[in-house]
Formats: sequence, structure tokens, C-alpha cells
Amino acid sequence: MKVIIDGLTCEAESGEYLLQIAKRNHINIPTLCHEEALAGLATCRICIVEVMDARQKAEERAFGQLNDDCGEKDDRKRKIVTACVYPVVAEIEVLTNSEKLRDMRKAVLTLLMARAPQSDAIGMLAKEYGVEQNHRWSSREDEKCILCGLCVAACDKMGTGAIATVNRGTTRTVSTPFEEPAESCIGCCSCASVCPSGAIPFTDLHGKRTIWNKEFELVSCSWCGEVIGTKEQLEYVGKRNGPSADVHGGEMLCEHCRAVREASRLKWVSQPGRTFA
Amino acid sequence: MNGHDGTNFEKILVCCGTCCLANNSMDIDSGLKERIQQAGLPLEVEPMVKATGCSGLCENGPIVRFLPDDLCYYKVKPGDVDEVFEKTVLNKQEIDRLMHREPEQRNRVRTREENSFYKKQFRIALRNTGEIDPFSIQDYMERGGYSAAKKALKMTPEEILTEIEGSGLRGRGGAGFPTGRKWRQCAGIGRYPKYTICNGDEGDPGAFMDRCILEGDPHSIIEGMLIGSLAIGANSGYLYIRNEYGLAVRTMEEAICQAREKGFLGKNIFGSGYEFHLQIVKGGGAFVCGESTALMASIEGNTGEPRAKYIRSVERGLWGQPTLLNNVETWANIPEIINRGGSWFSSIGTEKSKGTKVFSLVGKVKNNGLVEVPMGITLRELIFEIGGGIIGGRRFKAVQTGGPSGGCIPQELLDMKVDFDSLEAADSMMGSGGMIVMDERTCMVDTARYYINFLSEESCGKCVPCREGLRRMLEVLDGITEGKGSEEDLELLIWLGSMMKEAALCGLGKSAPNPVLSTIKYFRQEYLSHIRDQRCPAGICKKLTTFRILEEKCTGCGLCKKNCGVGAISGKPRLSHVIDEELCTRCGNCIDVCRFQAVEIG
Repeated sequence: MKVIIDGLTCEAESGEYLLQIAKRNHINIPTLCHEEALAGLATCRICIVEVMDARQKAEERAFGQLNDDCGEKDDRKRKIVTACVYPVVAEIEVLTNSEKLRDMRKAVLTLLMARAPQSDAIGMLAKEYGVEQNHRWSSREDEKCILCGLCVAACDKMGTGAIATVNRGTTRTVSTPFEEPAESCIGCCSCASVCPSGAIPFTDLHGKRTIWNKEFELVSCSWCGEVIGTKEQLEYVGKRNGPSADVHGGEMLCEHCRAVREASRLKWVSQPGRTFA
Repeated sequence: MNGHDGTNFEKILVCCGTCCLANNSMDIDSGLKERIQQAGLPLEVEPMVKATGCSGLCENGPIVRFLPDDLCYYKVKPGDVDEVFEKTVLNKQEIDRLMHREPEQRNRVRTREENSFYKKQFRIALRNTGEIDPFSIQDYMERGGYSAAKKALKMTPEEILTEIEGSGLRGRGGAGFPTGRKWRQCAGIGRYPKYTICNGDEGDPGAFMDRCILEGDPHSIIEGMLIGSLAIGANSGYLYIRNEYGLAVRTMEEAICQAREKGFLGKNIFGSGYEFHLQIVKGGGAFVCGESTALMASIEGNTGEPRAKYIRSVERGLWGQPTLLNNVETWANIPEIINRGGSWFSSIGTEKSKGTKVFSLVGKVKNNGLVEVPMGITLRELIFEIGGGIIGGRRFKAVQTGGPSGGCIPQELLDMKVDFDSLEAADSMMGSGGMIVMDERTCMVDTARYYINFLSEESCGKCVPCREGLRRMLEVLDGITEGKGSEEDLELLIWLGSMMKEAALCGLGKSAPNPVLSTIKYFRQEYLSHIRDQRCPAGICKKLTTFRILEEKCTGCGLCKKNCGVGAISGKPRLSHVIDEELCTRCGNCIDVCRFQAVEIG
């Protein structure tokens, strides 16, 4: 089916998310809580776009105990949706950068900026949208976290579930159970690597990694010395994927060295004249 | 009127809703039962005493009714039981002091019909509450219970859908989505299993209509859900009830057990071979779990957080299966629609809002309680005729409709008709039907602040506009109530609010700015008083309030002095009194008790 994004006609499969379609067609929609490998969270609301189609009649008003839509009477009224989780099921027209959207993004960024003044990701977007820091609002000076939830989603995806969001409303935070070192944490750093604003601190020093108040022993590549991961992480992966092929005669190899070794082994095998006992 | 020659009372109904229970109505019930048993048989017909659900006029509970004569007693105390038994039950005499007195009138009225609180009401969803013993399925069946389910079993799903569509019923949970259309969408999807859910997670402050139906007429919900399940082809359903509603959970558990015993639930309903199971899930006390997708997440055992609803629950709801979720009051209406026909239902109400709506009328209104009225009644009728006007004869200021995320409607809109669309047009919403009446001693800035505070605690915190927006709105409003506001603050609130309305993830966030936006729209002057004059006209915001006693009006009666908790008022009897500003805590007791309007807000 066809989707018109900012005037450009794009092809799309039914059920595809708007953000994917836009990306494929090199249309830039800003995102903060989006990660290709994880399901859309729709928490940061930066990727809002305006959609216009026949689906958004009054019946599009969601239902339930709460009013999900305050008065949509005009069939041709544009609706604000988040591109990361909006599935395209009909031919629609989309705007990604209208005046209204820019103003709304500016409001969202103003809020995020007040929350996490130290976040570089927010800082860059804020500059782009001309957001100024509101100095009357209280904020924690050293705060970087924007509570997008990517770290929790990544940890769940790993199957460890060592961190979760705690509390609700304005007191929400991300933490390990009771803020103590989590038993199930394997020190894999998935959370820190998906974090858009570098808010999860960790240190790799003297063969030890510290993250979420827990210390791990680091394992390095036997050939080049590059850090592969923590001992717990490799054990966990081994448990899930069966005995690891990486452990070869007591050798632990990183991805790169493993490829080198495989290549040389294959070369060695394909030499003519060699026989195997 | 003594010695009224009434017929023998066949039934005595004692209201045992939550409010009346709190006033010992259970003792009245057991006391009457005991006396009648002990008395042997001096009576021709031994009256049956029944403990019923809420009968609505909670302000005047506990209520005792004598049927078929319909004599009503209000505010009965356990100490009155002897007198009621001696005079009324044995000798058919009325007890004057227990009967209702209409405001403005001298004489007492006997019956419920004569009481203006009930005059304009029309009961569909509440047809049985206060009339039957909720713990007795027999009572429900005597009033035609389960006949609609039997009828529905003989109908095709298509016929049921047509009936519900024809009724024009719209969701009573708040959004007002056409129920029939929702059912048809769900019926049209060919994936099984399907589920039905009843949303009983009523969390709005001051709203208790769902609770009363759950406590007073549980079987109507079971029957409604059974009919809905027949229409869409579901074999199991869930009742999601707040854990705080202890009595509602107990009543519902009992009702499900009785319905199973009778064969109205289970494997072979009425011998038709149709299977339907119901189970109760208790909500853990999060307001956001009243939002349908959060509620489903909660039933699944996940954190109760909403998801984006671009794919609707009727397609992928509970466990990714087609799910039909309706609110308690919506389900309670269904059996009546099947019994009496959709066209009967759609003959009540306005063009786009059919039927009746239950409102919980609370706040500064004389008759606090539960009312069910046809859609399209005006706010004035609701507040001044049914509600009896404002307590203490004060001036009406605003009415807040639709729960914490509804708006405040000012005096100039009192003649507005109450239905989904006009409330929305007035920047408020129907919501689940809470109505909080405010008088001149209510500060609108403080009211907005209260609701934003409530919502900021109850927001799930998942999305930025709601979590961060409410946090900052609260900061700004706190500033205004403390006299640190500026006029730019109002523009900032409007800017943030209009973004939240569209960019938030769920209904809670989208409607959260309503209290702020509507009070700025209708009561801007009051905001400006706080900002420019550093004064709270209602005398509520402590930092911006001083109380003074006007010498020329004060009679020196000393009532304010007696009621001052900190001894800030001094004065000799019959001479004008004085308030010591240093000691005064701005509690407002003096202004509230003064009968001569001698206390002025400075």
C-alpha cells in the first residue's frame, strides 16, 4: 500500500510501523527511546507525527474507563501518533515536521531538559528545537536519565530481568530490587549500551567491572587481550546456548580472533595432500 | 398524621450500603428481625426485613423503608429500633421526626415519591439497588432477573447486536464509545478464545456509582456479561474490582457462587450447552488500572501500565486475544435493553446520548448521594432540585464533572444539558459520573492543584508528557498558591496542557490537563488575583489569606472564639471581636461558623 510522508509517496507492507517506513525512505524522525532490536516503547513521545486518514473518525476514540481522546469530530482532523508503534493498515498521509509538531516536540524537550540537564542526547535535540533551560524548575543537577525504559527492556530481552522501573508517577526510577546488587545481574552492560543518554555508570578497571553496585570478573581474549565480557555473562550465555564453541583448548577468543582462527583452520583443511588420521 | 391506617407492611427494607453500614445499619436490621421474631404473632402478616444495597440518599442514611406502603425513615439510629418497632410495626403509627422534610416546607413527607431527591430520577442501572437483598439470587429473579439471559440464549448473536446497537447505549466508563459498535467489532473477529471484562476499578475521588451497583445488584452485571459473551462468542470473563471495595468483592463472590449453583454460569447454561465462566480479579489500588489496556496488563500479571491503542482491544486485548471490556454501569444496563428492547432505551435521553446516567452527587450540596437521571437533564436541576442546593445557603461556584481529569463548569453554564457531547464542548467530560459541587469557599487554583497532585501520584510514569508535565504543572500551581506566580505561568500551563492533551500515551495523560485548562478558561480572574494581588478570594490558600472581623457586623456572640483552635480570637461578649494575625492558622473555622457574615477575607 501507499503512504505519503511529507509529500513523498512510499511503499509499505500492511502492519509495518511508520518509523520503519520513514527510515527506509531517508526521512528523519527524531527518536530517543527507540532501538531496532527491541519492541517500540512509545515513552519519549519525540517521534510524534500527524496522521490523516479515514480511520480516525470518532470511532477511533479509544474506550475504557478513561477518555482516550477529547473530542474528535472532524474526520479530516490530523491525529497525533507516535511513529515508532503506529502500524500502517490503510493509505494515509503523514506529516513529520509541521509547525504544530515542532512546537509539541519543543514542549516535550523542555520537560526532558528540566528533568535531565546533563543528558547530551537531550542537549543536542534541545539546541535543534531552540529549547532553553527553565531555571525556575527544580532538577537534580547530575541527572542524565530520561526514564525512556530502554534499559529495562534490554535486560528483559536478555532474560535476566535484573532491573525494573520502580514506583509510579513523578517518583518513578529505574533500579535493581531494593537497590541492592541484583542476584540475576550478569554484568553484560546491555542496559548501559542502549541508554540514549549515558545515564547508567559502569567501570572496567583492573580486570573488574562494576555496574549496579555489583562487581564482576572480566574475561579477556586469549589472543588479543580484548575484553569479551564478564565471567557470569559467558556462563549465562553458555547455559542458554549449550556448551560454548569459543572455549577451545582452554582458549577464550573474542569475535574477531575467532574469525581469524576459523579462517586459518579452513585454509589448513583445504590444503591438498593432507590426510586425516 | 398519627394513627395512619396503613396496610400491613409486607417488607421492611434496611439500607445496608457502605455508608449506611458505617452508621450501624446492620444493627438496625438485626434489631428489627429480632423484635419481630420475639413478638410472636400479634401481626396478621409477619413483615420480612431485608438488608439491601444503597438506596441513594447517602446523606440521610441509614434509610428504612416499609413496603408496599412506601413509608420512609431517614437517619435511623440503632437506638430508634424499639420505637420503630413499637409505633410503626405494631401500631402502624408514623414517627414524625424520622420522616423526610423538604427544604422550604414545614410538613414531613411519607413516601419516596414525594421526596424531591427521587422525583426526577429514572432508574435503569440502579433498578434493583436498594430494592433487593444483594446476597439473594431469589430476590433478583423475582424482579425478572436472568429472564434477559434466557431470552438472549434463544436469539442469534446478530439479533443481540442489533438490539444493543439500536439502543444507542454509549460506554458509561467515561469515553462514551458506542457500545453496540464495539460489540460488533469484537464479534466480527474470528480468532478464539475471546474474553469479556467488567471494569470495576472505580478510582475517581468522590465517585461511587460502580461500587453501589456491585454491592447492591451484582447479578445484573453477571447477566449483562453473559449476554455480551453470547453476542461475541466468549467463554470466559473477568470482573476487575478494586481491592479497596471489600464489600463489593464479597457480594460479587457470593453472587457468582449462587449463579453457578443455579446453572447460570458454568459448563451448561440453562441446559443450552453454552459455556461461560466468570472470575474476579482484584485491583491493587492504582488509579491508572481503570484505563482498559493497563487493566488488561494487570490481569495478565504485568505492571499495570497502558499501551498505545493503535491496535484496539477488540482485536488484541487480554493475552493478545479479542476482548470486550465494558464498565460496570454499561453491563448493568444490558439486561434491561434485551428485556425491553433497544428502541425503548433509545427513547430516553438526548439525540446522541441515550438512556440514563448514574451520577454521584457530592461536595457542598445538601443531598449527597447517588442519582440516576435521563441524559439531557440540566445541571441546575441536578444540583438545585435533586441535590437540594448548596449547604448553608452559600453561593454556587462550580461543579467538577468526570473525576480528577474532568473540568470545572462555572455558574453561567448551569442550564447546560448533561450529556456526553455538551460536557465535552464545555471542556469537561462525562467521565464515570462523578459530580463534585463547589461553593464560594472553594479556591479554583487550589482545586486544580489538588487534582494535578492526585494525578501526578497516580500517573504510571511511562510517558514524558504525563509524568514530567504533571510534575511541572504541580510546581507552577504550588508557586501560584504561595504567591510566587507570574502571568507567564498561565501561558506556560496552557502550552504544556495543550501538548499533553495530544501527545500523552493514554487517556489518563490526555485528560490530565483538563482541571487546569478549564479553571484557567472559566476562572482566570481568580488566578490573576493570586498572581497580581497576592490574594486568595476564597480564603483557602493559607499564604495569601488573612481574616478580619468587621466591627460593624460583629455582634460579639463569641461563636468564632469558641471554634478557634489556636485561641487567636479575643473579645468580650456582645462586643466586637478581633483576630490576632500572628496566631491565626487560616483554618477558616471562624468564617464558616459566623452567622452574621462578620468575618471578611483580606
